[in-house]
Amino acid sequence: MMIDLGTSAAWTPLVAAAGPAGLAMTYNTLVVLAGVAAVGFAAGVAGTLALLRRRPLVGDAAAHATLLGVGTAFLLTGRRDLPTLLAGALVSAVAAVGVLVLLRRIARTRDDAATAIVIGVSFGAGLAVVAGITARGLPGSAGLEQFLLGHTAALTARDALLLAAASLGVVVLVAVALKEAVLVAFDAAFAAASGWPVGLIDAALVSLVALMVVVGLPAAGAVLVTALVVIPPVAARQWTNRVGPMLLLAGLFGLAAAVAGVLLSTLRPGLATGPLVVLAAAAICFVSFVVAPERGWLARRLGEADRRRRWTRGRVLGECFALCGDDAATGFERALVIDRAAGDSGSLRRDAGRAWHQLVREGVLERATLRAGGRDFGQESVARGAAVRGAMPQAGRDRWRLSSAGLVQARERRRRIGAWRDVLDAAVENGRDALTLDLPAPEEVLEGVVLAPLAAAWQSAPRAAEDTR
Amino acid sequence: MSLAVGAVLVADAGLAFHGWSMATAAAVSAACALVGSFLVVRRMSLLGDAIAHAVLPGIAVAVLAGGRLGGPLVLVGAVAAGLVTVWLTRALHAAVGLAEDAGAGVVFTSLFALGVVIVTLCAAQIDLDPQCVLFGILELAAFDLVSLGPLLGSSVGPVLVPRAFLTASAVLGLVTATLLGTWRLQVFTAFDPAAARAAGLPVAALTILLLGTTAVATVAAFEAVGAVLVVAMLVVPAATAELLVHRMPHVAALAVALAMVAACLGWAAAWWLNTSAAGMMAVVLGGFYGLAVALAPGEGFVARAATRLGLAWRVAREDWLARIWRAGEEAGGAGEVTRPRPRSLLERAVAGWLEWTGVVVLHRGMVRLSAPGVREAETVVRSHRLWEAWLGRHAELPLDHLHPPAEWLEHHLGAAMRERIEAEMAVGEADPHGREIPPESGARP
Amino acid sequence: MTAAAAPILEFHDVTVAYGRRPVLWNIDLAIAEPCLFGVIGPNGAGKSTLLKAALGLVPVVGGYVRYFGAPLAGVRGRVGYVPQRETVDWDFPVSVMDVVLMGTYGRLGWLRRPGRRERELARRCLDRVGLGDLAERQIGRLSGGQQQRVFLARALAQEADLYLFDEPLAGVDVRSQEHIFQVLAAIRDEGKLVVVVHHDLRTAAEWFDRVALIDMRLVATGPTADVLTPDNLRRTYAGRVELLEELGRAVAERGRTP
Repeated sequence: MMIDLGTSAAWTPLVAAAGPAGLAMTYNTLVVLAGVAAVGFAAGVAGTLALLRRRPLVGDAAAHATLLGVGTAFLLTGRRDLPTLLAGALVSAVAAVGVLVLLRRIARTRDDAATAIVIGVSFGAGLAVVAGITARGLPGSAGLEQFLLGHTAALTARDALLLAAASLGVVVLVAVALKEAVLVAFDAAFAAASGWPVGLIDAALVSLVALMVVVGLPAAGAVLVTALVVIPPVAARQWTNRVGPMLLLAGLFGLAAAVAGVLLSTLRPGLATGPLVVLAAAAICFVSFVVAPERGWLARRLGEADRRRRWTRGRVLGECFALCGDDAATGFERALVIDRAAGDSGSLRRDAGRAWHQLVREGVLERATLRAGGRDFGQESVARGAAVRGAMPQAGRDRWRLSSAGLVQARERRRRIGAWRDVLDAAVENGRDALTLDLPAPEEVLEGVVLAPLAAAWQSAPRAAEDTR
Repeated sequence: MSLAVGAVLVADAGLAFHGWSMATAAAVSAACALVGSFLVVRRMSLLGDAIAHAVLPGIAVAVLAGGRLGGPLVLVGAVAAGLVTVWLTRALHAAVGLAEDAGAGVVFTSLFALGVVIVTLCAAQIDLDPQCVLFGILELAAFDLVSLGPLLGSSVGPVLVPRAFLTASAVLGLVTATLLGTWRLQVFTAFDPAAARAAGLPVAALTILLLGTTAVATVAAFEAVGAVLVVAMLVVPAATAELLVHRMPHVAALAVALAMVAACLGWAAAWWLNTSAAGMMAVVLGGFYGLAVALAPGEGFVARAATRLGLAWRVAREDWLARIWRAGEEAGGAGEVTRPRPRSLLERAVAGWLEWTGVVVLHRGMVRLSAPGVREAETVVRSHRLWEAWLGRHAELPLDHLHPPAEWLEHHLGAAMRERIEAEMAVGEADPHGREIPPESGARP
Repeated sequence: MTAAAAPILEFHDVTVAYGRRPVLWNIDLAIAEPCLFGVIGPNGAGKSTLLKAALGLVPVVGGYVRYFGAPLAGVRGRVGYVPQRETVDWDFPVSVMDVVLMGTYGRLGWLRRPGRRERELARRCLDRVGLGDLAERQIGRLSGGQQQRVFLARALAQEADLYLFDEPLAGVDVRSQEHIFQVLAAIRDEGKLVVVVHHDLRTAAEWFDRVALIDMRLVATGPTADVLTPDNLRRTYAGRVELLEELGRAVAERGRTP
């Protein structure tokens, strides 16, 4: 997109500026940006439905076929205005999808191969037409190639409004017929049995995607426009578990990617917008994969670290409890506890050390500073006024004891572990019948232990424990 | 450079020019078709498409690092990019449960976009043009010549060969050697990966080898046809061959042959029509595929329509003969009955044909079946009544439910099946309606 | 005065084909009274196909299917269907409540959104199957038995007069199976016909009032005790099924058997 430095009229095409100096946004520029934003939003929305219907690449064949339509439209009409060219693109896009459906029905070729065939052949045909036009130097043919990788420079405000109108139409249609689309995407067999025209709804969905692919041509070009339909929904899925927010987010991501791409392309003359739009979308997607709560990489790593901390804490507490034999007045040495809790592993020992400090800070563990009658006492005992007749300070010995609060915690932990063991034993006996209650996830309740290796499996398949196939 | 290559071409394009161009195209197509055969059979066409796009950044980086287009560094870059694509797709699937096709879509479009941006930004340092990346520069291949003279010996003069052809031949050789070397293993893995794994074959390694080979073939094709049409060269010949032959070696061989022919035809057509060679090669390949879909023996569109028509004709014929026969039976075994009225155009045509060939004898509004006609009619009626008897015996259906299925299936029972059914029945048993079942006549239809 | 009422569900000489190949032959079956009706038979015998044909999901090439004497088109609102569980993507971003609400879409028709009445109905159905607390949970986070119960609740939300269930107990633990069967029996007690495709003979003998034994064609039908006799079950169908398969192939290829 070129930046205009001062021309005014609302319906004139943008004029190339002499470089990126100055960012005076004219009415034209704003309208074009708004149009592109609308296109990005609608593409994200349409793409979400396709992703939910498990056919994310349905637009790919349509996209590659648009070149043929563009070239043919020009050839037939001699006109180069956007509506004509996009009309041609729409015809060829729909035809490509139609051919794909036909191939599925009458040829033995598998789906993925059929899609690749339609993509390659239609693009080749398009290329042949456009190259033939350019080679013959037909008047007005310069610039058809810009449909390959996207170029918003020549967009008029009127063009942008056309694109925005189409995009708005798509969004409104999706909003209005959302429940039907989600029903069919989720469970087509049930929908068909309930009398919904699944074939019709599917055809409508594919047509919407084809339309968005065509509308997105100026912004992203034939080769890359499917990315605008595929990437934002994938990114949006990471952030939410509901369809409504997913649609909205996908639209916003698409909008942001489109606008960012177009703005970035102004940094250098000659940069096509398509690749930049896609890179912007990819960046959003990458950030989503990393940062999203729950499904994001960071969230899961942090969750693991958190679980590991709690696991280690539990082990240390457990060892202290074992060593003191459920008696607050029996002390133990730190080194022994760490040895027993962590063994030889360096990293485990470090974790155990940290857990120890945490326990001390929480007041679960305290130093056993006094010793009387073979028993250990600490500050808490003194504060409670416990009889410590004849107590001697334990200088030079590193003995610790569980506080009364710590003892309570340790006992509760032991009770829970015992209860879970009983539950699991009963489950084994009854062929896992007993586990039909809606139990909380074990890792939320227990502190790791032997169930840690299974936790990863549970995360992805929480119901695996119950299927008795 | 732009799409206007055709207009640039030299006036004195002679045999050498065309020959070298076609040879280069053929070599490139052959390599892609060979690799593509395995991709298609293993349902990895999408991955092939993905790799074809995603090698661009690998190539761009390699060229930036000093590699030559067609040199080994570029091949390495391409293979690395290809493997990164596959790894990323699988990783996304494992990490966030993203379906394979969505993941591939995200990965390869992003990588391709990255490649285009690199190529554009570093246009000064890289000898690649973003538009050429998209559809190749085959037309200029014949002008970029290197001399093989020194290789062949100093006594031979300068032997000028297009560099692209050398690259293409080298790649073809490499691809062929790799695939032929692991042929049996690749075929086994292609048809049944689970069994191959169970049999202890290194399926993962073989897959990586296949994908690496794809990347290598893609690089060669890049220069000729550009990124997007590589997918046509990978998939279309193999898909066409699959429709026509059924054993893997034949599929691969036919795919290669088709690809080479299409390359030459495409080049010629592009020259004649003054348009992009890459585009025309894809169109020719598409044409071959369309022909195969239509004309494949047995499963092609045309063949199936013929079978359908054949059945309709046979059914109408048998129904007509049986109708006459039954009319005769009802009239107490009369030889001649009134000619029935045809109920459709097809019946009219069938009746006319039967009368013309003498199977049915028409005489003053009355018809009589000739001996062959009687035999054929009796076979149909026999099939009908045997099936009714079978249904009546085994399916506990009320009497009026027996006729419609028998009406339909009487045309599909062969002699051996009739014998089996009859073997279950008592001698001389009638059909459930009490009508006699005609015996098997000598002539088998 | 005493005109016989039309059977609730009737298969009249129904032959069903996949592509052109018949897989179910001449099924003649009429269910006149509301009951818990089981459709059982060996694997691949066409039990699910029978249900799908009844719903128009698979073409019927011979005969017809009638509900309350009428073809399906007029009475779809009165028929509830629960398909097999495998057809669903459990990572789909919907909650339990969203799925149960889908059962009300049939009555809402095009473009209307579910409102308060539908939500309350959905809640009641969820409570009936014991999933009242899980309404907001995403469906992937459920156990196998819970997932099946969500589908059951969705069927209940359809407020149908007759229900068709396709293998509702496959992959469900014993406790949940019992619970589900109780809900099915309760539906029957409301005076509705419940047809269940079921894979397990033992539980079939316990729970169903009437059964139909299917093996490419109807072998026997009637009250459970009468049909599930050792005799019926032991009868060798191998020869007959083979014949049907050969014939089916010939039909599919538009030719003749040898």
